[in-house]
Formats: sequence, structure tokens, C-alpha cells
Amino acid sequence: MPTLAEVIVALLCLLGTFLIALTGIGLVRFPDVFCRMHAAGKAGTLGVVLVVLGATVHFAGTEQDVWMRGVLAVFFQFLTSPAATHLLARAAYVCDYPLSERTAVDELRRYLPSRPDQVFNQE
Amino acid sequence: MSPFLTVVLKVCLAALLVSGILCLYRMLIGPKAADRAVAFDSLAAVFICVICVLCIQWNSVLYFDAVWILMLVGFLGSAAIAMFLEKGRVF
Repeated sequence: MPTLAEVIVALLCLLGTFLIALTGIGLVRFPDVFCRMHAAGKAGTLGVVLVVLGATVHFAGTEQDVWMRGVLAVFFQFLTSPAATHLLARAAYVCDYPLSERTAVDELRRYLPSRPDQVFNQE
Repeated sequence: MSPFLTVVLKVCLAALLVSGILCLYRMLIGPKAADRAVAFDSLAAVFICVICVLCIQWNSVLYFDAVWILMLVGFLGSAAIAMFLEKGRVF
């Protein structure tokens, strides 16, 4: 019979892994780079956070500083991952990456000038 | 560790393997550099999850610090690639 802590760990790991799997599926299925960033940025962050929290809960009582390492890793992930995704999306937009042809509105075009990609223009 | 948690961790590892293969596929076919950078970022996330699940399975915190290193490598790599794409130089 599993204890309560094991059930919590299993739930956190399963939920996080489910989100990570959704990230992989979204990376392959979505049409353009911004949609892929939408999948990888949000679901990837939350999945990592849930799995790290699961490991933290599992090791919570064993050593003195393990829970602190886990919580700090979660905090750091919440801090850095949106910044990295934002930087990449801005760079892709400025480099004039093609939008999907089903894109309806592009309101950023008025505010952010874009130039053709010179560095990585080759396929 | 109960058999329940063992089975759950095996299922988690299988799903993470599938997700990593999908990320590698996007990294292989991704039309341009930003697609590959996104795939790299989520591949780092997959590795972080694999390390956490294996830590639980082996019941040791020996590799738990590798989570930090992979987070740093993923963030700095993505930020450097984004800066290089946008400006043509990193700093």
C-alpha cells in the first residue's frame, strides 16, 4: 500500500511528465516557430517545475538542504524560462521568420521593425 | 519504495523518452535556427525531468545538483542564440 507522500510524488511526476510529453507533441505538430515557442515555453516550464517539486517532496525528510535546493531550482526556472522564451521570440520576429498562413492578426508589425535574416538565412 | 511508485516512474521515463525523441526530430528537421533553439530548450527540460525521475528511482540525491547545471546551460544557450540572431553578436 503506497503512503501519502508516495501518492503525492507519483501525481506530481505524472502531471509534469504529461506536460513535457505535450511539449514534444506540440514541437512536432505546430506550424510555425511562434506556435512551437508557445508549446515549449508554457508547458515545458510547468512540467519541469512539477517534476522537480515531486523529487523535492520525495527527498524532503532525508537530508538537511535538499528541499531548499529543489525550491530554489523551481524559483530559478520560473525566473529564467519566460525570459529565454521572450528573447527567442523577439529575435525570431525581428529576423522576419515566416508566420503561419493561418495567422489572422499581426499587431506587432507596426511597433517592431523586422529585417531579413542575414546570419541564418539558409535553410 | 512501493511497487506503485516503481511502475509510475517507469511510465514517466517512457513518456519522457518519447518527448525527447520528438524534440530531437524537431531539432533535426527544424527549418531555421530558432526552431532548433526552441527544441534545444525543451530537450534541456526533458533531461532535467529524467534526472529528477532517476533520482527518485535510485533513491539518491547524488545527481540532484545536475538540475541546476542543465537549467543554467539551457537558459544561457537560448539567450545567447537569441542575442546572436537579433543583433549578429552576443554582447
